[in-house]
Amino acid sequence: MPADKYVLGLFTSEDKTVSAMQAMSEAPWQIERVHSPIPSERILDSLAVKKSRLGYFTLAGGIVGFFAGLALAVFTATRWHLIVWGKPVVAWIPFFIVGFEFTILFSVLANVLGLIMLSDLPDLNWSEHYDPRCSGEHFGILARCPDGRQQELAEFFRTQGGEPRLFEEN
Amino acid sequence: MSQEFELSYGEIDYTVLGSLRRPSSGYWLLVGALVLGVVAGAICWAYQIAVGIGAGGQNIPVAWGTYLINFVFWVGIAHSGTLISAILHLFRAGWRNPIARAAETMTVFAVSIAGLFPFIHLGRVWLVYYMLPYPNQRNLWPNFQSPLVFDMVAISTYLTVSSLFWYTGLLPDLAVVRDRAEGLRRKIFTVLSLGWTGKHEQWRHYTRGYLFFAALATPLVVSVHSVVSWDFALSVVPGWHSTIFAPYFVAGAIHSGLAMVLTLMIPLRKVFNFERIVTVDVLENVAKTIIFTGLIVGYAYGVEYFLAWYSSNIVEQEAFRWRAMGAYSLEFWIMVVCNSLVPLLFFIKRIRRSIAWLFGISLLVNVGMWYERFVIIIGGVAHGFIPHAWGLYRPSLIEYGIMLGSFSLFFLLFVLFVKHFPSISMTEMKETIQEEAAHAG
Repeated sequence: MPADKYVLGLFTSEDKTVSAMQAMSEAPWQIERVHSPIPSERILDSLAVKKSRLGYFTLAGGIVGFFAGLALAVFTATRWHLIVWGKPVVAWIPFFIVGFEFTILFSVLANVLGLIMLSDLPDLNWSEHYDPRCSGEHFGILARCPDGRQQELAEFFRTQGGEPRLFEEN
Repeated sequence: MSQEFELSYGEIDYTVLGSLRRPSSGYWLLVGALVLGVVAGAICWAYQIAVGIGAGGQNIPVAWGTYLINFVFWVGIAHSGTLISAILHLFRAGWRNPIARAAETMTVFAVSIAGLFPFIHLGRVWLVYYMLPYPNQRNLWPNFQSPLVFDMVAISTYLTVSSLFWYTGLLPDLAVVRDRAEGLRRKIFTVLSLGWTGKHEQWRHYTRGYLFFAALATPLVVSVHSVVSWDFALSVVPGWHSTIFAPYFVAGAIHSGLAMVLTLMIPLRKVFNFERIVTVDVLENVAKTIIFTGLIVGYAYGVEYFLAWYSSNIVEQEAFRWRAMGAYSLEFWIMVVCNSLVPLLFFIKRIRRSIAWLFGISLLVNVGMWYERFVIIIGGVAHGFIPHAWGLYRPSLIEYGIMLGSFSLFFLLFVLFVKHFPSISMTEMKETIQEEAAHAG
């Protein structure tokens, strides 16, 4: 069975892109992905994607960070076991500051880790079925079709006001 | 409607990418001069390491001199980057978009320079690892009850967070450069952009992540300069031991950082023809924010005097009398005039829309904020509780050399960045156009 082929429809505006995506829902073509030079809520809404789960990474990082900071401060203080400025050896108020800073640090590190993992970065195959214009002025809808129907799909993009780009490889 | 919204995506790319073209000989001349400044600073530091910390002018009772002044100054400068990129992002203030990248870059470089000064001040810099909490053969652990250790944690957190925030924000723009570059530059930007293509899955997580970054950086920016202020406020030195120090330092930090943003952006927009992106409206908004922070700083100066008078504490009263009329009164009045009075000129619309005035006033605020740190840090310990322990301080030539080196290094890093990386966020500018078009439609 021949493999599916890809056609990228390039559009000059978000409106045309969203309109083409809506038209595609009634056409036999399947959207593989959508490229845009800006983050677009309308595109994400059209694709009906779920909210990112990145927040769980950030939250987990923050909780771990808070207790790690507090634990580090308590641990080092109990190694010394000295009264400083009349404060108890385990002085919660100053240690809270360390806990706070570690909360932010670990949240951010977990946020970055989550972003990298969920976005599949670094992407070594980034240039596959990609057009460099998508990072500049164009929005791109990459769609899949059965072998031999690329011209139909390209024509669909043209009727939607886009410029099709055909990829010969799978 | 400001003119920036008449731009197209293509014009934004063309203008910003135009700044990455082959540099002129004037650029290399500037780089050469800044390298000389850095080398001069490095030589002074090397001399201090060779002969000892006494090469600086710091001595009893003023043991914290320009090294701590510059540390606080650069941490303060770093704060506006986060204010502009994080806090104004949360408030959806579109005018911050043209200057956010430069401000974030300023933050990363300024906090790096700030981080150098505790090393310099240590004298025996190779013993810096004593500060780090790790098991060692002497069983010596840092004591987390000390504000100096809070500071180490806060500053290293701030450097890490602001660097990651900056790089994350750069990712889509690195891809823009990659897609339009050739040869070695393309290879470098291919690695740096991590294969970013702007596909919807990437944006889905990116927008969420960026929002979390902004939300986390906002309390961090407030906490970091508060922690810096506690280096002073948690002591019992007259003039330092004050409950208003945290908000006073945070406002001062933002005040100086905004002034530095103007100092950097005004020549940048001229040299790279960014006038249509970094419009006078944007600079005017920075000026209006400077009025606000200047008023807070002026209020804090006044409240310090009120507290000294109202406390009926004669030591406190003497410290503040001496601050305005003693050996460092010139520095004090430079501080008051430059930070609180000069920014009031921005109430006049013609002045806050004049590039020359904006640049001039931003320089004066920078000078004033440096002297604010001088007045607080030196003035406190030079005139403490006991008259026989009073003493004056002047920076030595070695300290001036190191200071020259630090300023040169900051501007060198900035100048290298703006010529090799997009100094304006193309993605955020395009977003601004999109949002304005949506509102208009």
